[in-house]
Amino acid sequence: MSTEDSPQQGEEEVRAQEPVAQRPSTGRQRLIAGLWPPRVTRAQLVVALLLFVLGLGLAIQVRSNSDDSALRGARQEDLVRILDELDDRTQRLEDEKQKLDDQKVELENSSDQAEEARKQTLEKERQLGVLAGTVAAQGPGITLTITDPHSTVEADMLLDAIQELRAAGAEAIQINDVRVVADTYFSDNDGGIQVDGRKVAAPYRFEVIGKPQDLEPALNIPGGVVQTLEKEQAIATVARSEKIVVDALRPAKRPDYARSSPQ
Amino acid sequence: MIAVLGLVVGVVVGLLVRPEVPAVVEPYLPIAVVAALDAVFGGLRAMLDGIFVDKVFVVSFLSNVVVAALIVFLGDKLGVGAQLSTGVVVVFGIRIFSNAAAIRRHVFRA
Repeated sequence: MSTEDSPQQGEEEVRAQEPVAQRPSTGRQRLIAGLWPPRVTRAQLVVALLLFVLGLGLAIQVRSNSDDSALRGARQEDLVRILDELDDRTQRLEDEKQKLDDQKVELENSSDQAEEARKQTLEKERQLGVLAGTVAAQGPGITLTITDPHSTVEADMLLDAIQELRAAGAEAIQINDVRVVADTYFSDNDGGIQVDGRKVAAPYRFEVIGKPQDLEPALNIPGGVVQTLEKEQAIATVARSEKIVVDALRPAKRPDYARSSPQ
Repeated sequence: MIAVLGLVVGVVVGLLVRPEVPAVVEPYLPIAVVAALDAVFGGLRAMLDGIFVDKVFVVSFLSNVVVAALIVFLGDKLGVGAQLSTGVVVVFGIRIFSNAAAIRRHVFRA
């Protein structure tokens, strides 16, 4: 390709530019003579035109290479490769985004669930606290007052009353200032009654939370608690109330051996 | 002198005007520029040798550009465009160096 070679093969048409009179002998002299003084000849103009085109192309190329992106002037296959790489990268990033989105949703859900579980646990703790007597309770219920002018009331009568109340659906009970819970015990001690080892004195005042319509008849039935007490010359009075407050508390006990088990 | 002026004006115009090159021609521009540079160096050497002919210069300049672009175009069609343009640049580089050596001998006598 490009077999032409102006220096070597251009000999057939040797035509020196310079006037024959003072033909310079050396290349350097020829160069200087060509440069100065400027002469407007056909050769000079043609060469100037071509060099102008060359300079233009050179400047354009340098410019497009330096300031524009490297993609300008890139070959088609390179562009295709770059595009492929970008597509891959986009795909990867999309995947990653999807994964992170999923993770975010999951975390939000789990934090919601944790919050819900915490609320339920709190609610349950309150309910269990009412049963265990570690928190105060309030609600509709009755007040049972037993006055004992002849000191005839014994522990088993109070226990009977408690049993009857529990059977009628009492949810929280206190006698005077002692909370009645699952392991409450009654005992007779030198003329007095002890509940859970604490002395209670007449009049015995039961604060009972439960459905009043159930609790009151349960005490008043013939042969029931009230009649039995009256037989012993004690006076039992039952009063319904829309708001009973059971605020005697017991310390929470941690069992030594029993542990909660799943199921 | 006018030739040198033409080169300078071309560079200046190219930098200032920033013409849009058609996308079809764009891949061939660098190769064409290298080919034209080769022709220019050849012409300069011929001038120093005293055998410069403007017709030969014009033909060599144009044919260099066209053939170089053609080779790259062919290479692109064959799928070896990158390798072929590298080859063309190497060949032109060698020629430019040999011409530059001849010019140097003329100008510096060394």
